Amino acid sequence: MRKAPILCVLAITCLAQQPRQRGGRRVRFDPVEAAAGHEIYNRSCTMCHGLDGAPGDRAPALGAQRRYLRATTEDIQDAIKNGIKGTNMPASPLPEADIKKLVAYIHSLRATAVDLDVPGNPAKGEQVFQAKANCAKCHMVNGRGGILGPDLSNIGAERSLAALREALTIPKPIPPRGYQPAKVTTTNNQTIEGIVKNQHNTSFQILGADEKLHLLTADQIKEITFHPKSLMPADFDKVLNPTEFQDLLAYLSRQARSRR
Amino acid sequence: MRPILAALLAIAAHAQVTYNDLLKPDPANWLHYSGQYHSQRHSPLQQVTTANVKKLTPQWIYHVDAGRRLETVPLVVDGVMYFTNPNEVYALDARTGREIWRYERQPALQKGPNRGAAVYGNRVYIGTPDAHLVALDARNGSLLWESKIAEAKEGYWSPAAPMVVKDKVIMGIAPSDHGLNGFLDAYDANTGERLWRWHAIPRPGEPNHDTWAGDSWKTGGGGTWLTGSYDPELNLLYWGTGNPAPDFDGDVRKGDNLYTECIVALDADTGKMKWYFQTTPWDVHDWDAVEIPVLVDANYKGSPRKLLVQGNRNGFYYVLDRVTGEFLHGTPFIKELNWASGLTAKGRPIRVEGVIPSLKGTKTCPATSGATNWMSPAYNPATGWFYIVAQEGCGINTKSRDTFRPGGNSYMGTGYIESPEEPWQMYIRALDLTTGKIQWEYKQINSRRYAAGLLSTAGGLIFGGDDQGFLTALDAKTGKALWSFNTGQQISAQPMTYAIDGKQYVAIANGSNVVAFALHD
Repeated sequence: MRKAPILCVLAITCLAQQPRQRGGRRVRFDPVEAAAGHEIYNRSCTMCHGLDGAPGDRAPALGAQRRYLRATTEDIQDAIKNGIKGTNMPASPLPEADIKKLVAYIHSLRATAVDLDVPGNPAKGEQVFQAKANCAKCHMVNGRGGILGPDLSNIGAERSLAALREALTIPKPIPPRGYQPAKVTTTNNQTIEGIVKNQHNTSFQILGADEKLHLLTADQIKEITFHPKSLMPADFDKVLNPTEFQDLLAYLSRQARSRR
Repeated sequence: MRPILAALLAIAAHAQVTYNDLLKPDPANWLHYSGQYHSQRHSPLQQVTTANVKKLTPQWIYHVDAGRRLETVPLVVDGVMYFTNPNEVYALDARTGREIWRYERQPALQKGPNRGAAVYGNRVYIGTPDAHLVALDARNGSLLWESKIAEAKEGYWSPAAPMVVKDKVIMGIAPSDHGLNGFLDAYDANTGERLWRWHAIPRPGEPNHDTWAGDSWKTGGGGTWLTGSYDPELNLLYWGTGNPAPDFDGDVRKGDNLYTECIVALDADTGKMKWYFQTTPWDVHDWDAVEIPVLVDANYKGSPRKLLVQGNRNGFYYVLDRVTGEFLHGTPFIKELNWASGLTAKGRPIRVEGVIPSLKGTKTCPATSGATNWMSPAYNPATGWFYIVAQEGCGINTKSRDTFRPGGNSYMGTGYIESPEEPWQMYIRALDLTTGKIQWEYKQINSRRYAAGLLSTAGGLIFGGDDQGFLTALDAKTGKALWSFNTGQQISAQPMTYAIDGKQYVAIANGSNVVAFALHD
């Protein structure tokens, strides 16, 4: 396992460059218990933690897209029941059955999309992916598709359902690292458009829209224009009708190569 | 004028690798584990020469976070470098060492090493610790397909770099030390479908099955854990096979134990064996014969021959006719060899009585680590010499009765230690191609264990490295060291060379890094 980058100067950068969860372990929980736990959580824990698992005034988010020290059922249960020594986290007086529901809710907050049985028709979602939404132009799934965007073969095991929905509907404030669109003019007046795989003061590596790698040194570059926005459209809730959108989510949430 | 030329060349971007490219690689590229199909590891690049090699300086160093003892040989395709760590592939800008993409296999079975990749079309191929053949998109590292080679839970894994021949990916398997039978496979380069499998241990009813006593063939070994060579004209693959199992206890597997310890010639289209030559029949010293078979067309005793030469772990240098497998010549390339008094006219070793593992230990020279090992040799057509990494020294070999336990458990029948009387010592030696006579040797002072293999260049240089981390350039004619650089970590990989915009680089993996050198501007 690679370590996640520790330092992020801006919260916004962190979000954009956030490493994917590697999704090796399956999180199991009962959705009915989780729903009950959600209610208990909002009623009992939000003095410190935020509503719906968000960060609160006195305690951290429980459903953030990061790795948690306490990830197993036993560990979370222990933290609720006995508190966490040396912190403000108190021991909870809730009955055992409620704590079990809370644990299910916390698991659900951290679950990746494949852990949920996302409703919709995945087969139709694949057609949407290939045709109407045109995702395959840039994204590869199981060896088929474009290469400018990230490979999505395991996206359901790496992202939460909320994150998938967000990626399809909310424009990213800045393009993620490795996917910054740019146009380069070289000293001999050739232009290359594509996405920046890596760059430094001395050199520049760009994957062109021609799907070829172009490797340049600084002295070969006359001008670089960075496009402020990611190439990823974020209006799929408008372009697709609700059924198509849900089918697309159902399809993407089931792309979980690492779980096979 | 160079910047303009450079710009023009750089814009001519990374292209697909064709079979024609694999047959006749552009010298600026390094497309095979051993440079070319013939595995001579000789590059026509000659910007770096005996006269200017003193000006060789590091250009960049790439650090692999999880890297420990990298054994990878980087490949370079039009300025993009691909190298491996177990479960990982890295694509770098070979001019600057800047990362373009990386692939990390998940979940990753922790087992090493991995010795490198193969390239073809827009794809990069690797073997994995969980015994899969994996194809990635060379442009962004996307996983295209994976094919299971064998059951990892049985103990199989795939450390060797694959080789692409026509539309096939040729892939071997490890190990032999667990009593697992070896084979060599061909997979469709486009789909990953397995096309043929050659079994290293003949099954009942097949020729030479009777070279195994009783049921010993079932746990016979014969891994194919290093990359072989290929002759496109003969359409033959040449591969070395590993030791029989249990490694040190030959009593339970009487017979020659074919086709362990062999060089085999297989039809590349069908996997059918055309010939075999066994270097160590009934091996009891774990001397895998997987060392790179080097293909050279040269005069032998006055007539042109298609030769195959190999410096074998058992201490002998072999010269074969690679059309027929006929043994032509063999001679030791180490001085301390006590297990055989010579070779017969057919190339079979004349064993010295009693030099077999025993309960209290038997002095055996070379040691089990071998007179050489996975370190690649090189051949320079200008000198006509074969260059090899040699280890002088003996081992104390012991045996005991072992029980085969499935599931990847070691089945070696005990082992060896370094002889306290003859500490190991590493050398780089130049051998005459056809006689094997030592032309010069370079002693790697204070180096006792294997490190880098060799690279020959048209600049008249032999590059090698040692276990203390030094990469050294020798004069191919004299063996004199002309340049040396302390990379700071033990080297366990093979050097390679490439060029970008007319500038020659020499690169090698050392410890957890890959470092590239070029002449100081």
